Amino acid sequence: MQIYLPIAELPVNMFMLFGMGGAVGFLSGLFGIGGGFLLTPLLIFSGIPPAVSVATVTTQVVASSASGVVAYWRRKMIDFKLAGMLLVGGVIGSAIGVWLFDLLRTLGQLDLVISLSYVTFLSAIGGLMLFESLRSMARRRSGARVAARQPGRHNWVHGLPFKMRFRQSRLYVSVIPIIFLGGVIGFLGSILGIGGGFMMVPALIYLLRVPTNIVIGTSLLQILFTMAAATFLHAMSTQSVDIVLALALMIGGVIGAQFGARMGQKLRGDQLRLLLALLVLSVGVRFAVNLVLQPDELFSVSAAIAEVRR
Amino acid sequence: MRRPLRQAIVLLGLGCLLAAAPAARAENLIAALSADRVNIESNFTGTRIVVFGEIARDALTVARPEPYDLAVVVSGPEQVVTTRRKGRFMGIWVNRDSETFERVPSFLAVHTTRAPHEMASRTVLERHRIGLRNLNLPIAIASDVPIGDRDNFRQAFLRLRVQNGLYQEQTDSIEFLSDSLFRTSVSLPANVPVGEYTVSTYLLRGGALLAQAEQPLTIAKSGFEQFTYRLAYEYSALYGLLAVALAIFTGWLAGVIFRRD
Repeated sequence: MQIYLPIAELPVNMFMLFGMGGAVGFLSGLFGIGGGFLLTPLLIFSGIPPAVSVATVTTQVVASSASGVVAYWRRKMIDFKLAGMLLVGGVIGSAIGVWLFDLLRTLGQLDLVISLSYVTFLSAIGGLMLFESLRSMARRRSGARVAARQPGRHNWVHGLPFKMRFRQSRLYVSVIPIIFLGGVIGFLGSILGIGGGFMMVPALIYLLRVPTNIVIGTSLLQILFTMAAATFLHAMSTQSVDIVLALALMIGGVIGAQFGARMGQKLRGDQLRLLLALLVLSVGVRFAVNLVLQPDELFSVSAAIAEVRR
Repeated sequence: MRRPLRQAIVLLGLGCLLAAAPAARAENLIAALSADRVNIESNFTGTRIVVFGEIARDALTVARPEPYDLAVVVSGPEQVVTTRRKGRFMGIWVNRDSETFERVPSFLAVHTTRAPHEMASRTVLERHRIGLRNLNLPIAIASDVPIGDRDNFRQAFLRLRVQNGLYQEQTDSIEFLSDSLFRTSVSLPANVPVGEYTVSTYLLRGGALLAQAEQPLTIAKSGFEQFTYRLAYEYSALYGLLAVALAIFTGWLAGVIFRRD
């Protein structure tokens, strides 16, 4: 069934949108990621203008993360204090990111920076996670006892000042790395047009040693707020949020996210991390291949944003 | 004796009128559209409009040996378009050169009775955008592309536009229902840009433009599509808040519906 999108100004198949939203929503609920880094390329690939894709995905991410937040909230698996501190950093980082975004656009190299960043971050983070989860699985198989959480073990992060107690996460750490982490992810998020959950989750687990089950709900809550702000900003500045497209993606997405969240409860932490690592890595490789191989069509046409409007 | 005299007077009159109305005493062209407004609604997947008309002649029309040629040109609102070309830079493919064309039609359909270059000289064809090869693409002043390379960008632009259906050229597509009645059907694809269009019909013979007719065509969103579009552009803040509220509500609703415990 074809439906005409009022902002994107073209018709698309509604069931294709449900399908894409559902698949990405499932992964979103499973891993506690927004899924923007998957959905945006999917939409662009299916012919929706990049500006509309980026802006509308932020709206869809709001819905799928809200749905996930509800599920995790009920299980009391959200650390609100931690999410709040991450958000403080996120706002600062986003502001710097938006400023750099404009600068790069005037220099005409935004596309390249986005592609290179995708390749770099997705490959690096995916690779690290893959390595770690495989090692952890191998250790478990060899019979060594592996504690997912080692409360006694500290790294350099725990030596920093301005300590704060996060009761829900059973943590007592400095707020500096938390705000810094939120800032870096907010910065990258606004440059790449993504929520950054796939970077947030491993960072919280490995750097701050937040328990895995708390990480996902907390990360989703932080994504919810960041993406709600991003949706509003996109609607104000570029007018490229397509509410019909967003709704179609949402309906698929929220349903998928529910199943994902349920499935996530059944899988072990290292299995989840292995799957997420493979997913992140494959998107990174896809971008790398696009950059390295000679494209079939060297030319591209884009109408100016300030095109003639009625 | 009266007939040659009358012809002489007519010729004299024609001569005087030539600057003001060159086609006054030659063939007249009457053209019309099947619809002068195309509404885009949620089920829009493209449509067709029929351009039909008549070549009007009277007893005074000079008899000519060559056949009539017709061209129907449908052009959409003009826009500024950048064509970019990727090049290899340190092992990766990036956008390197670009050429910006100003005031190019966002949509162009050219229907003719035969290949445009057989119909008239390039000057006539270029002036009236008859044929995609004769489309003038004005280059923005600040262009770094060397002259010899410019045609590549031009060709690429036309090729990409033809690929996504926004530019069309069809020869032999105008059907004659009688000696003077003609008809052609122009397809408007699903991704047709909205705005004010012009449908121009040209009558040519032996390389000369005898008559032309012009009709406006409006392609606009209607109903919910129009409402959404206006809300997004004129009340952006409200639209943004609505989008966020809708997203949170949908997410929450799903959470409630799927509640198991």
